[in-house]
Amino acid sequence: MRWCLALLICALVAAVNALSSSGSRLLVVLDDTTEKSSYSTLWSDLEGRGYDLSFESPKSDQLSLFAHGERAYDHLLILPPKSKGLGPALTPKHILDFLNKDGNIVLALSGKSSTSSAISSLLLELDVHLSNDRSAVVIDHFNYDTLSAAEKHDVLLLQRPNALRTDVKAFFDGEGVLALPRVAPQTLGSDSQLLAPILKAPTTAYAYNPKEEMPSPDDIESTGSQLNVVSAIQARNSARFTVLGSVEALEDKWFSASVKAPNGKKVPTVNREFAKQLTGWTFKETGVLKVGKIEHHLATDGEVAAEDLNPKIYRIKNETVFNIEVSEYVYDKWVPFEVPGDDKLQLEFTMLSPFHRLALQPTSRTETSAVYSTQFVTPDQHGIFSFRVNYKRPFLTNIEEKHEVTVRHFAHDEYPRSWAISGGWVWIAGLWSVIGGFLAFVVVWLYSAPTADKAKKTQ
Amino acid sequence: MAKSSLDLLLKGSSGQNTRGLLRIVILLTIAAAAVASRLFSVIRFESIIHEFDPWFNFRATKYLVENGFYSFWDWFDDRTWHPLGRVTGGTLYPGLMVTSGVIYHILRFLTIPVDIRNVCVLLAPGFSGLTALAMYLLTCEMSTSPSAGLLAAAFMGITPGYISRSVAGSYDNEAIAIFLLVFTFYLWIKAVKNGSIMWGALAALFYGYMVSAWGGYVFITNLIPLHVFVLLCMGRYSSRTYIAYTTWYALGTLGSMQIPFVGFLPIRNSDHMAALGVFGLLQLVAFAEFVRGFLPGKQFQKLLTSMVLLTFGLGFAGLVLLTVSGVIAPWSGRFYSLWDTGYAKIHIPIIASVSEHQPTAWPAFFFDLNFLIWLFPAGVFLCFQKLKDEHVFVIIYAVLSSYFAGVMVRLMLTLTPVVCVAAALALSAVLDHFLVLSKPSPESQAKANAVDAKSYQGMKSPIVGIYSHFSKAFVSGSMTLYLLIFVAHCTWVTSNAYSSPSVVLASRAPDGSQMIIDDYREAYYWLRQNTPDNAKIMSWWDYGYQIGGMADRPTLVDNNTWNNTHIATVGKAMSSREEVSYPILRQHDVDYVLVVFGGLLGYSGDDLNKFLWMVRIAEGIWPDEVKERDFFTARGEYRVDEEATPTMKNSLMYKMSYYNYQSLFPSGQAVDRVRGVRLPAESPQLNTLEEAFTSENWIIRIFKVKDLDNLGREHSNAVAFDKGLKRKRASKERALAF
Repeated sequence: MRWCLALLICALVAAVNALSSSGSRLLVVLDDTTEKSSYSTLWSDLEGRGYDLSFESPKSDQLSLFAHGERAYDHLLILPPKSKGLGPALTPKHILDFLNKDGNIVLALSGKSSTSSAISSLLLELDVHLSNDRSAVVIDHFNYDTLSAAEKHDVLLLQRPNALRTDVKAFFDGEGVLALPRVAPQTLGSDSQLLAPILKAPTTAYAYNPKEEMPSPDDIESTGSQLNVVSAIQARNSARFTVLGSVEALEDKWFSASVKAPNGKKVPTVNREFAKQLTGWTFKETGVLKVGKIEHHLATDGEVAAEDLNPKIYRIKNETVFNIEVSEYVYDKWVPFEVPGDDKLQLEFTMLSPFHRLALQPTSRTETSAVYSTQFVTPDQHGIFSFRVNYKRPFLTNIEEKHEVTVRHFAHDEYPRSWAISGGWVWIAGLWSVIGGFLAFVVVWLYSAPTADKAKKTQ
Repeated sequence: MAKSSLDLLLKGSSGQNTRGLLRIVILLTIAAAAVASRLFSVIRFESIIHEFDPWFNFRATKYLVENGFYSFWDWFDDRTWHPLGRVTGGTLYPGLMVTSGVIYHILRFLTIPVDIRNVCVLLAPGFSGLTALAMYLLTCEMSTSPSAGLLAAAFMGITPGYISRSVAGSYDNEAIAIFLLVFTFYLWIKAVKNGSIMWGALAALFYGYMVSAWGGYVFITNLIPLHVFVLLCMGRYSSRTYIAYTTWYALGTLGSMQIPFVGFLPIRNSDHMAALGVFGLLQLVAFAEFVRGFLPGKQFQKLLTSMVLLTFGLGFAGLVLLTVSGVIAPWSGRFYSLWDTGYAKIHIPIIASVSEHQPTAWPAFFFDLNFLIWLFPAGVFLCFQKLKDEHVFVIIYAVLSSYFAGVMVRLMLTLTPVVCVAAALALSAVLDHFLVLSKPSPESQAKANAVDAKSYQGMKSPIVGIYSHFSKAFVSGSMTLYLLIFVAHCTWVTSNAYSSPSVVLASRAPDGSQMIIDDYREAYYWLRQNTPDNAKIMSWWDYGYQIGGMADRPTLVDNNTWNNTHIATVGKAMSSREEVSYPILRQHDVDYVLVVFGGLLGYSGDDLNKFLWMVRIAEGIWPDEVKERDFFTARGEYRVDEEATPTMKNSLMYKMSYYNYQSLFPSGQAVDRVRGVRLPAESPQLNTLEEAFTSENWIIRIFKVKDLDNLGREHSNAVAFDKGLKRKRASKERALAF
């Protein structure tokens, strides 16, 4: 009873408070409290979305990401520190441990000062690279704010990004212009599947350290859309880590500013909406998938009895049905998940390699979830198979379901009987004719014995 | 008066009864001695299943007892050969399990609450008592001497050659198969002697039981036809032989085909073709005998030769045709290795890697049979002297099994019964002549001869006998001494060599006290209690059955070596670099890897000593990726120390064996006590595995396979980061290159 009550209370608390699907404790790491006031709109926005904000300085003694071996916070927002590093409580190792324990992180960088080497080596572990001297800024002579950076051209004006690919949902799109002052650019390693760019620099952009003189073209490592303004890493456990190149874009000043592109009109920025999308995604308010019931059973007409659901063992050549229930979290509620555009949710029936790879079709939906299902015949190969649904897309949490079942051979009484096989009739006829012939022979032999007096005569 | 009462007991009809009673008492005592001498291991260790294969039999028996016969018949075992599984019900010889299942249920029915484990542990000793009785019956058919049967039974009861496979806990197919072998031979001899359908049918029945119990039934399948064939060649065809053989063959073949594992082999496999051929030949000979009655001699000769040539030609051509077209399976690899001892080493490393498939060392004959081995030829010689049908059988059996026992260690088991028969015949002949107190009197001898003399006038047999009491006493005394030494030897061998369960090891501490090394069970119980129920364990196949039985976890490969490729996969994973092995481990869902390491204790049966077999078996499938040569140094040595080849040092097996081992010793002092070498100062580094468990004496080491890195890094990079090493920026180097 007690745990029931506890569960109920938890559910109520969750319903009242957290809008994020994974907890509401948010730690903001920023250098000094004076700085705090310049982001007040962001804080009130976050609090309005149900987060409990705590503010700590990286130098603080009480700062610890873990308490009793568990995460002390659910999410982490790190603003660029003035000092060299993030202090002893936020070493790269701690931050990676936080990620490994399902914590989500937004890391903001700033092009104003050079990024600390600790952050750089942290990003290196995630295969995100900063510029060589860690103090480069993105410059674009075609997309800059003429009002605030007429000289330096270092305030980028960008459209919000569309979907990354056609088979991926867009989480950061919308109308309006973003103003991104003094962006510290990132480049992404090519061999990691966990990285995804959220916002790329325009093709006309390039990066250099404004304190130095203009670099020669040879020294520029990457230009244009190779440079990322905002990039995302989603770890295998679906923990999210977002790198935002420009911390200033979150300031109150830029939330409400108006900007004017070269030969454009003066328009208000949409930084505030973008900040909501960005923190919302990182802190698991959007793009979160949940697998509900998974059911597999033999194909039957009508209802399946509860004890026939999810059997541990099938036979070869069984007609089998597989159902999976998937929901998606959108800001404050679970909704049925719909596979975007030309993408497909697939089921694999695997032993060492897939024997079947089938597209799952949406068959029914409830208020909060969609049920995808398919039907197939188990292969003519016994062994330990698994139903696998392996759905990993950028910006969506990973679905990796694996359910082992045994596929056995025919039992001794499951083969067709000999008389049911027409090819066997020849042998059956042969068998019975031999038996009949032998019996007939015995009968004839017994009844054709020479009579007793005849035998006497021969003697 | 005492003398007269003794006379009363020993002479006349009551004397016969007394002898009969004595004989029964002696036989029961022999059976009891046979059982008792096999209980060393239970007394010294505990009631535990031994070695490797018995663990599978035990597990199968438990399944049978729990789930009943039909689900055992249809058993698909999903906890071995992951992920292939094994159609266990159709790929085993069920005789052993069914026997103990029946015994268990009978005992339950009699309200004796007994644990199935104890039934299994004590099955082999129980059946060895029966073997002694069967031996008595068989030998009694060979000799008129009353002592021969009893001696043979006693020999069979305690000879180490048989004890090696039938101590308590050695719950293997051979436990009941040797009894069935001897008893089937007894019934066969009975059938041939009497020409009786009943004995022939009984022989077929027990042959069927034998087929259900042991793959060695092929020995009977070939020996009995050979016996008949030799009898035919000796011109000893008789209707007795015809009746015995046709009854046995027809019923026995039908019976053997009822076992799913055997199925259609008796009509499709070359190993069984001899029986079929002799069956056909016997029909022809019978027909020829029939025709002989109606035809004059010369025509009959012509008919006979042409018929023999024709059938032989047709039969041979048919056999070749069917073999080439694949209807009849060609000889199996195991069969070839019986003729050419080098065959397996070249073509089937998996067979050669089993120690019991090695050729026998000569001392083993004396070790296992003691003085029986030199009485054996004498006994065979005595068979030549009498040379009735049954003696021909003993001679053929002796010749064949001597050869096989020389080729393969384990076939010593089939040699033992015939050695016991022959030795008992020889010894009883000696004792019958030397243990008689009265001198042979010429008068009585002459009287006895007088009967014969009527028929063979010229051939008066000379009076043979021993007159001197000294030589009688000397010979019977020395024979008694040999017998006593034999008993002492058997007890010593049984106690020292054959009673170790090999799951639990025993050694002596410096002060002479016994030390029990229980690492295997420690590790298996760790697995049982600390891993999820379906955690997949990869180990070399030797330990598959034990893991299945004791740890109750799924394994990749086990001692039922039916799939060479799968074993080679494990061999490849063990002998390759981590980068190669890790995808294999992931693909096969491996959760834990288990290795046996004897370096700390000096336990020589460890995986590094078996490692070359893994390499060879893997090389058989992937000759481009795994090369045995790479594991030897330039000078051709197999080394594990500083001089070891890079391939060796990078192999997963080497790394797992020596991982962290160096930390036990002062730096630079690490020593491997099995191979007797000093190891490199640096411990090998493992990136994709982490140590999960190491047993008390480091014999078993279990490693957990890491998941993919959560942040998508290479494992080596992740490990380096955890150690606090800074990563170099790739782009910096690139910038320098400009």
